Amino acid sequence: MGEIHAATQAEIRIRKLLPASPQEVFDAWTDPESLKVWFCPGDTMRTEAELDLRVGGQYRIVMHAEKTDYIHTGEYCEILPAQRLVFTWRSTMTHNEDTLVTVELYPRGDQTELVLIHERLPSADVAASYNAGWLTIVEKFAAYLR
Amino acid sequence: MAPKLNRMVEHQNTNLDRTYAALSDPTRRAILSRLMQHEARVTALAEPFDMSFNAVSKHVRVLERAGLVRREIRGREHYLSLDATPLMEASEWIDTYRAFWDKRLGHLESFLRRNKTGKKERTV
Repeated sequence: MGEIHAATQAEIRIRKLLPASPQEVFDAWTDPESLKVWFCPGDTMRTEAELDLRVGGQYRIVMHAEKTDYIHTGEYCEILPAQRLVFTWRSTMTHNEDTLVTVELYPRGDQTELVLIHERLPSADVAASYNAGWLTIVEKFAAYLR
Repeated sequence: MAPKLNRMVEHQNTNLDRTYAALSDPTRRAILSRLMQHEARVTALAEPFDMSFNAVSKHVRVLERAGLVRREIRGREHYLSLDATPLMEASEWIDTYRAFWDKRLGHLESFLRRNKTGKKERTV
C-alpha cells in the first residue's frame, strides 16, 4: 500500500525527463512569458507573471479563471542558471503558508532530468515528527489492509 | 490550479489537521497499533500503559474526534476499533500536490517540445 506510506511524507519528490537542454528548461521557469504559457491550468483565461529574478526577489503569478483568481507568490532563495532554482511558494493550495520548492536540473544527453522537491507542506511539522514507531504502524496497517 | 483541486484541498484541511494532531503523540500511536490487531475494550486497552485510566481515556477521545477510532457500546462494555478513513484522506491530500506538479510538468514538456519545433522551422 504505497498510498498509505505517502501519508507519512513531509515532502514530495518528482522526476521528469524533458526534451530540452538544462538552460532551456531553466529559462522556461524564469522567463515570465514562457511561464505564462506552460504554468496555467486548462480553465485559465489570462495569466499575469511578475518575476524579480534575484536572491530575495519576489515573484507573483496570477491566473484569472472563469470564476476566481489563483494567486501564487513567493521569494527566490537560490538561483543557479541551468542547474538549480529554489523558491518559497504560497497559494490557497498551501493554505497561504510558505512552502519550499527546489528545481534541480541534470543534463542527460540532449535531454534534461528535472527533479522537483516540494517540502514544508502544511502539517509537515507534525508529519516530520513521526518517529520510527509510526512507520512501523504504517507498515502494519498496510499489511492489515491487504 | 483547477478550482476542483482547490476546493478539495480546502475541504480536507480541517480533518487533516485533526488527523495529524492525533497521530503526533506516541501513546496514541501505540493505541492505534494495538487496535490494528483487533478491537479492544477501553479497560483492557489501558492496562499496558503506565498511566491512569483517565489519561488513556483522554487519548482515546482525541483519536475518536479525529475519526481514527470508533466506539461501540455492547451491554456495559465499550469496545474500540480502528477506522482507516482519515489515513486514506491524509494520503489523498499529499497526492493532490503530486497531481498538481505532474500536470504542470506535463505542460512544461509540451511547451519545450513546441519551442524546439518552432526554432527548427524558423532556422530552415
